[in-house]
Amino acid sequence: MRRHLVVLVAVALVAACQRGPETTPDVVAVLASAIPDRPDDPAWNSAPEHVAKLLLQDLVEPRLMSASTPDVRVRAIAGPTEIAFRLEWTDASKDDLPGNGRFVDACAVQVPQKADPNAPDPQMGQAGKGVQIAYWRADWQATVDGRGTAIQDLYPNATVDHYPFEAASLEKGSDAQRQMASRYAPAEGAGNLRGGPRTSPVEDLVAEGPGSLAPAGGSSARGRGVRTASGWSVVIVRPLPDGLTPTSRTQFAVAVWEGTSQEAGARKMRSGWVGLSMRGTS
Amino acid sequence: MARVYNWQLGREMSYWYPESRPTKQFAAVFDTNKCIACQTCTLACKTTWTSGKGQEYMLWNNVETKPYGSYPMAWDLKLLDMLEAGSWNGSTYTGQTIFESAKAGERVLSWRPEGEDYAYPNVGEDDCAGAVDAGMSLSMPHMAWFYYLARICNHCTYPACLASCPRGSIYKRPEDGIVLVDQGRCRGYQECVKGCPYKKVFFNPMTGTSEKCIACYPKMEVGLQPQCFVNCIGKIRMAGYISKPEQARPDNPIDYLVHLRKIALPLYPQYGLEPNVYYIPPIHVPPKFLRQMFGPGVDAAIAAYRNAANDPDLAGLLSLFGATESVMTRWVRRGEEVAGVDDHGTTLVRVPMREPVHVRAGFDKVYQIMRSNCP
Repeated sequence: MRRHLVVLVAVALVAACQRGPETTPDVVAVLASAIPDRPDDPAWNSAPEHVAKLLLQDLVEPRLMSASTPDVRVRAIAGPTEIAFRLEWTDASKDDLPGNGRFVDACAVQVPQKADPNAPDPQMGQAGKGVQIAYWRADWQATVDGRGTAIQDLYPNATVDHYPFEAASLEKGSDAQRQMASRYAPAEGAGNLRGGPRTSPVEDLVAEGPGSLAPAGGSSARGRGVRTASGWSVVIVRPLPDGLTPTSRTQFAVAVWEGTSQEAGARKMRSGWVGLSMRGTS
Repeated sequence: MARVYNWQLGREMSYWYPESRPTKQFAAVFDTNKCIACQTCTLACKTTWTSGKGQEYMLWNNVETKPYGSYPMAWDLKLLDMLEAGSWNGSTYTGQTIFESAKAGERVLSWRPEGEDYAYPNVGEDDCAGAVDAGMSLSMPHMAWFYYLARICNHCTYPACLASCPRGSIYKRPEDGIVLVDQGRCRGYQECVKGCPYKKVFFNPMTGTSEKCIACYPKMEVGLQPQCFVNCIGKIRMAGYISKPEQARPDNPIDYLVHLRKIALPLYPQYGLEPNVYYIPPIHVPPKFLRQMFGPGVDAAIAAYRNAANDPDLAGLLSLFGATESVMTRWVRRGEEVAGVDDHGTTLVRVPMREPVHVRAGFDKVYQIMRSNCP
């Protein structure tokens, strides 16, 4: 009898271990005292998982005409002032090298700028009803993780004779040298840091409709992405969205760009709005 | 899409935005017959604008040998193949433009170069179409031929790069029609790289944005021609401003060559962009090839150009090419002299129609010796 009991307990334990994570029809953030900022933090095991089904962005040109990433597994953990999302999706190829005809893997989370029962258009919001977006990119992650910012870091066989702003007559790191280098990197000179070097792989953005994406004033999002055996696992941490409290909810959407499929900008897989709520006490 | 008028096609066409022509339109004429592919223009541009990180491969100006040269690889052949054959009814294009033949989900008919396509800027250099056999003699047009095609951004009236950008990061300056990428707004989607049929927008992998020829606008703004123009050894180029055909002025050098004498023609007008770099076609190349590249005006253009020796005004204006760094918005011929003039009527340069020729006798009487190198 006692042996039977041991067997039953063992079977029950195995079954519990094999059972997948709790899944929810919306994104449910569990309250916690500490926000995990690494994808492999054990704290994520406490959060239920929402599988966000992705749609082709086929509303505005240029459209994505062929579906790639089917879904994203989303978990969320909220603290007093911030919320962390972990996005995981399947992607056979690691695309983190920008270049001609080369596109990088990326993802983003989107929430309404203002909580509203009538949510903005899920496709980047609409005029007067904006959205906030936190955007992570694999090449930025690689730079943050230590990849260099020379052309050979992107094209290992590249050969360069000379850059004018690295002339021996210019003191390295001097104001004059930096100013000259900036003139040869016009986007950087304009304050548009699309390439490296970067200190964060995440960028805060706002939008009021397709084509209106703009940097948010004052960046506060952070994050980290790592390759998994089957794809990417990315954590994005941002301030609590407007209207999200233990007793009130807001909306959430996600997008994924798959580099091998040459996805960038409007060519992406994206979800519609799903609910975002909190549960538990910290 | 809006309906706009494209005078190069002789008809209305579809475009992503309504017609909005600038106050002035930057334009240029390149005389292909004078180009020797020395690439001085390429280097002038390179050293001025694209010496930064991520710009190593960029050639905002390049010179390629036709028919086999191309940078990036097969930039023209790939799109011509996609566009399929279109016909002209006189000076009216009856085929489809790249805007009208855009596939579902796309703003223009286009293709995307890969990194490898930029790796061979000298492919096809000096390669001749047809074999030159021993004892062969050439007649006009040549049976075996090649020529040099110098290329910059065409600063099109209907830019496909601008139409392709989903976030309006490319703009056409209302004051001079120069097309620029807003480096503060571009997010590096590379839609413009794909959309430009001339492949004159380049992605910078280090800055993460796309960049292109800026027509040396800091120079143009003060009345000076771009670097690739003023450094041209062969003096094949002239920069200025072009009017709409119905407003063409005979004293505007570009208007005169393009609208009035029609010896300078747009590059692949059938694409539908109304490009604003105009080419005097090479006189020795079979017109069948040239008609595809420059449209139906090729035969008349070559005939007029070949008759320039008997055409003082045309010959005079052609002699102003490369005569000054300044932009000549007007020109005038006074007898055997031609002058470039600016908007204020100030003469910028005067050039004799024929350089003085001095013939020395073959025998030097002073030294009592036959001169060498004398006819």
